[in-house]
Amino acid sequence: MPKSQYVDPAKAFDAGYIHFEDIPVCQYNKTLEEELKIYSKDDMMRIYRDMAIIREFETMLNEVKVKSCYNCVEYNNPGPAHLSIGQEASAVGEAYSLDINDLSFGSHRSHGEILAKGLSSIHKLDDKELYDIMKEFLDGAVLSVVEKHMNAGGNVKELAINFLLYGALAEIFARKTGFNRGLGGSMHAFFIPFGLMPNNAIVGASAPIALGAALYKRSNHKPGIVISNCGDGATGRGPVLEALNFASMDQITKLWGMDGKFEDGGMPILFNVFNNHYGMGGQTRGETMGYDMVARLGAGFNPQQMHAERVNGYDPLAVIDAVTRKKKLLLEGKGPALLDVVTYRVSGHSPSDSSTYRTAEEIEAWKAADPILAFKTKLILGGVATENEFAKIHEDITARMTEVMKLAINDEISPRMDLNKEPDAISSIMFSNEKVVSMDPSREADVLMPKDECPRVKEIKGKIRTAKDASGKPVSKMKMYNVCDGLFEPIIDKFYEDPTLIAYGEDNRDWGGAFGVYKKMTEAIPYHRFFNSPISESAIVGSAVGYAMCGGRAIVELMYADFIGCAGDEIFNQMAKWQSMSAGILKMPIVLRVSVGSKYGAQHSQDWTALCSHIPGLKVVFPSTPTDAKGLMTTALSGTDPVVFFESQRVYGFGEEFRKDGVPEGHFEIPFGEPDIKREGKDVTIVTIGAVLYRAMEAAKILEEKYGISAEIIDTRSIVPFNYEKVIESVKKTGKVLFVGDACERASVMRDMASNITEMAFDYLDGPPVVVGSRNWITPAFELEKSFFPQASWIIDAIAEKIMPIPGYVPETNFTDLEKIERSKKGI
Amino acid sequence: MATPIIMPRQGQSVESCIITSWNKKVGDTVEKGDILFSYETDKSSFDEAAPESGVLLAIFHEEGDDVPCLENVCVIGAAGEDISAFAPAGEAAPAPIAEAAPAQEAAPAAAPVTEAAPEATAAASGAISPRAKALAEKTGADLLKAIPTGPNGRIIERDVQSLLDRGLTVSGAASASYTAPVEGTGANGRVVLADLTAPAAPAAAPAAAAPAASVAEYEDVKMPNIRKIIAKQMCASLTEMAQLTYNTSFDATKLLAFRKSLKAGAEKMGLANITLNDVILYAVSRVLKYPKHRVFNAHCLGDTVRYFNNVNIGIAVDTERGLMVPTVFGANNMSLNDISKEAKSVITAAQSGKISPDYLTGATFTVSNLGSLGIESFTPIINPPQTAILGIDCVSKRIKEVDGEDVVYSAMGLSLTADHRVIDGADAARFLQDVAFALENIDLLMAK
Repeated sequence: MPKSQYVDPAKAFDAGYIHFEDIPVCQYNKTLEEELKIYSKDDMMRIYRDMAIIREFETMLNEVKVKSCYNCVEYNNPGPAHLSIGQEASAVGEAYSLDINDLSFGSHRSHGEILAKGLSSIHKLDDKELYDIMKEFLDGAVLSVVEKHMNAGGNVKELAINFLLYGALAEIFARKTGFNRGLGGSMHAFFIPFGLMPNNAIVGASAPIALGAALYKRSNHKPGIVISNCGDGATGRGPVLEALNFASMDQITKLWGMDGKFEDGGMPILFNVFNNHYGMGGQTRGETMGYDMVARLGAGFNPQQMHAERVNGYDPLAVIDAVTRKKKLLLEGKGPALLDVVTYRVSGHSPSDSSTYRTAEEIEAWKAADPILAFKTKLILGGVATENEFAKIHEDITARMTEVMKLAINDEISPRMDLNKEPDAISSIMFSNEKVVSMDPSREADVLMPKDECPRVKEIKGKIRTAKDASGKPVSKMKMYNVCDGLFEPIIDKFYEDPTLIAYGEDNRDWGGAFGVYKKMTEAIPYHRFFNSPISESAIVGSAVGYAMCGGRAIVELMYADFIGCAGDEIFNQMAKWQSMSAGILKMPIVLRVSVGSKYGAQHSQDWTALCSHIPGLKVVFPSTPTDAKGLMTTALSGTDPVVFFESQRVYGFGEEFRKDGVPEGHFEIPFGEPDIKREGKDVTIVTIGAVLYRAMEAAKILEEKYGISAEIIDTRSIVPFNYEKVIESVKKTGKVLFVGDACERASVMRDMASNITEMAFDYLDGPPVVVGSRNWITPAFELEKSFFPQASWIIDAIAEKIMPIPGYVPETNFTDLEKIERSKKGI
Repeated sequence: MATPIIMPRQGQSVESCIITSWNKKVGDTVEKGDILFSYETDKSSFDEAAPESGVLLAIFHEEGDDVPCLENVCVIGAAGEDISAFAPAGEAAPAPIAEAAPAQEAAPAAAPVTEAAPEATAAASGAISPRAKALAEKTGADLLKAIPTGPNGRIIERDVQSLLDRGLTVSGAASASYTAPVEGTGANGRVVLADLTAPAAPAAAPAAAAPAASVAEYEDVKMPNIRKIIAKQMCASLTEMAQLTYNTSFDATKLLAFRKSLKAGAEKMGLANITLNDVILYAVSRVLKYPKHRVFNAHCLGDTVRYFNNVNIGIAVDTERGLMVPTVFGANNMSLNDISKEAKSVITAAQSGKISPDYLTGATFTVSNLGSLGIESFTPIINPPQTAILGIDCVSKRIKEVDGEDVVYSAMGLSLTADHRVIDGADAARFLQDVAFALENIDLLMAK
């Protein structure tokens, strides 16, 4: 909501019509004669060869699946094989005009795209570059196999083709010599040096990720375009539609240029839909969608209709023509673009598909129109090549494929990861754990003024960094350095330190984030690094994933932790998994800020630390003091791992109450995983998660003053990773421990920690570790919250009822086992 | 506020009642009027209803327990309330102790928990926190004497600390076979091996094949508490001491005549009904005061012998409940008449079961008389930590030679068991000799 754009009531109700341009549908009509002016015979034959390689590769996978045998070589592959037989022309056509700066993202059905773009890149790279890429990749692990066991006749490009086929197949067969050490597999194989970005087993998930890659190029002035591939079935998915909208948003062309200071082009992304007519078995046109043709979607997203076009995907030259034109548009800053590439998958969704949703007649008709056969016939009839030349190509491909398969299934040459011998092989790649100050030290950061002049930086300079002044008097809210400031300081520092850092989310820019963390930052940071996103949580998080994959660092925000649900796949399957699914090749420096509310009822008050910490691959922190906010944010922004950064709306305005010297100035890191003793005590340990810290402090005060019980309070601060040693030491001292947090008690992090402490400190326990969480209800209205969120009195109740009756104390709430059993029976 | 439920007094003469069944268990929610438990006196049975609604927070006595009237049986209140204030005082110590640890002052309600040493016992569930257990193992705290104050009768750390504060520990050697609480005689009251009962009997032989007969072959009857206490004490006594018994007899002619004259003159002299036993008690109380016999009026406390200045004679009394040993305190300072009255009083009290536990402790020497039941000789068992016990046998006719003539006389047997750890055979013989002489020459003794 920039003030520069006036929303005029006088114009808002103007009468008129929306006009649409015609969307071209299969308008390619060049003759062979015209085509031969564009493509040499070698080009034509290479196009043919590439299609034939893909066909043979997938035929092999199908044979292995269906008959456990290809060309007399036996093998059993239990993993998935989503084949695209019939779609080869679309893949090869798309890849033809792309180079290695152009990144392509795909789906679960992307063997064709991998091979096509790989072969295209091999063709374009010179021999030295090509050899160096292969040699450097995984320290030559893939190259050495094909170099040693296959004869490429000294030809680097032939060697590279072997390399590509073997690396992909070994990956599909889960071999350590695969492109991703066998950890990605069929649906996730990729090879970044060729511009082949990760493919995705979640339908449509690549769209927001590809968007993030385009954002990386756009915000960091990088060459090339991004292709987001998906099937027509994926167009039913929210993240895809969110990505289409996000890529099309007005601000990119209208505001990001900032009156000529920066570039003002659109998002360099082509959404390419391989429209094979089916989403698994659901027929998109005529059954599960209403758009008739995918290309129509373009008209819904921007006045340029995303330059949408429908293309004959059975004609490789028609596809090449379309992609070449779209690439040009994108490089001219006219993106985004949309292509509806009509094709057909004659193979099943997977080998177990019995095609109950289509007739044999339909399949036969499409087989008859086979794009490879048609292209060959066209070239023979046109006198470009002879049948013999094609036979030679096939002979070569079959021999090569057989050889590659033999290598890929050979357990000695292509071993699997041995987790008995290397038990930490996967553990060691769950997180990259690197400390990188700047993701691109070669560049200066794009900013609008020196940091010292940023109004917020100046404002914070004048603030008092403790909650109480020297005389013990509370500092006025206006002058007090608070949690928001603690978050802001490392973020603004990083904006000046790391040119790749971008921040976005809903209402981030002018508003400063719904809770003011980014207040008065607008003046210092340009739009293309700091902007308001559409209300598209999937696209917000998904794009951050793509941004990070490309080498950037992103800090994105979901206004409320409750919206994690809206970005579930992006957080749980994408952000969390790509470092390890890529065998450590990818880094994921993302800080996902989520804010835990209160006061706003059931869908705006939830602490979902448990959901996030359950998923391997995410770091999860939850500070609740200005010092911790600053220290943990500094660490989060210096790392290379995805961090879900929980904040509490209860404490944004809180000053520093624990650290006598106040919030440290300058660069200040708090290592992840180290809990902090906020109050020392000897009788009972209270471990807190998040803002409940302050209620625990209140309980500790009552326990001390009224009952002579001295409570030690440990603030977890981090949830993943977490070092239990401090808690165990405390429990050794006190023998009594409670875990307190605002999350609903059932299956919470507190439960998990209580269970771990029971295991690890059992002999020191003087009573069961007790959990005090919120009730397993909806969060009621603010006025009723005291019956829902843990209160100081609940903590004392829990001690008295479960651990150590307190003489003279009458509990207010019921923490007895009987009550617990009854509640559990009812599921509450 | 929690409400305690007491064992009602069903009639003036009822001292205690036995809980026959519990209808509720700890943690149950009870409505006002719900039957909590049933109990009985020797004459009739009763049900106790909840006086108000709430949660049954604690049960202090189990089924089969003989609960003194007016003592708290259980507590009803709000879940989680502290009930330690309502727990009844600890069980009467089964064995007499010379110097009971002074009762600690009740901690004020808001006193710091770590310092509170509750003197009450909640219903022990047998549960103990790992930490409390570890602390007990490390320190040798006597867990059998622990007073659980954790939720649901769990022993927690502070309960073990309380034991340690009170010096209640068990030696490492004793801990293996320590299965029931006994008073310790080691340093600071530590339970040592010497305080313990014999190790558990080997497992019973496998049961014979069940007979086809429908009549039960046997009946299992639970031992009453007093019987269990007796059993333990007796076994403990025999396993811990070097006991041996010395038998002798004396000419009771004068004694019997004296008794006869007492009986005849009682009314006239305003004397109590002085029995033969009373006279023996009198004689024993005097002989025990001979300086040379002071080891008989003593307690053996491991490596220490505690000599008493006064003679507190325990009298073994046959009661319906089993053996009880009430004490006549300061018998050495009493006249025969006083001894007789006091003995009668405590014996009657013991037999009726009304005796105060105070009278069941503190004896320095014990006399056990089986003579009235025709026993000619036996081996009385010492009541630890006393050093000896005198058994009185029946009177029988014997012949002795007087001036070359066989004379029939009434002889009374004496059986003295002494702890050889502190009393050698000759000492025992000399003591016995002196007792016999005093009784044989009761007229001389009375003149003393």
